[in-house]
Amino acid sequence: MVRNIITVIFCSIGAFWFLLGTTGLLRMPDIFSRLHPSTKCDTLGACSVMVGVAVYSGSLWDILKLILIMCFLLLSSATCGHAIGRSAVRRDIAPWRKSEEEEQ
Amino acid sequence: MINFLTAIAIVIGLNALICLYRAMVGPTSQDRLLAVNIVGTKTLVMVVLITFVQGENFFLDVALVYALLLFIVTVALSRYLEAEGWEEMRSDG
Repeated sequence: MVRNIITVIFCSIGAFWFLLGTTGLLRMPDIFSRLHPSTKCDTLGACSVMVGVAVYSGSLWDILKLILIMCFLLLSSATCGHAIGRSAVRRDIAPWRKSEEEEQ
Repeated sequence: MINFLTAIAIVIGLNALICLYRAMVGPTSQDRLLAVNIVGTKTLVMVVLITFVQGENFFLDVALVYALLLFIVTVALSRYLEAEGWEEMRSDG
């Protein structure tokens, strides 16, 4: 019973962070600012859902595999964010400024 | 409990559908790549949830391989977009 409650709490937190990441991806004005909510959505959302599911499963091999997926996701999400940001910088994509928005 | 996990998977799937909007209208190619990366992460989490809804353990291996493929695809495509084409990428090393 306690395990089910912990699973519900962690999965709800994860779904909430996924929702925040989607909102940020749609609403942010710039590629550089869109990178920020998207990496949050990758790390915090996915990892808290996986922690909740690992508490629910209870079997040792499943927990080990979930921890492996979690560690790899933490590494790869940061690396992907850095690679996308670097490619945007190298291609001279102009950052968003507030003054341009006011002139239009 | 299985109903709750199914509901979480459906919510995450709807989020992934909304993210496809940015993949369609994103002004730059990097926006589209970022949106595809997020959709891939959400699919990964959905596969992990479906593992415990169905009770089949081998879906966890599928999720592990999916995470590896997603990482390789994103890094390779961002290198490709950074170098503006295959020829420049080859000369760049």
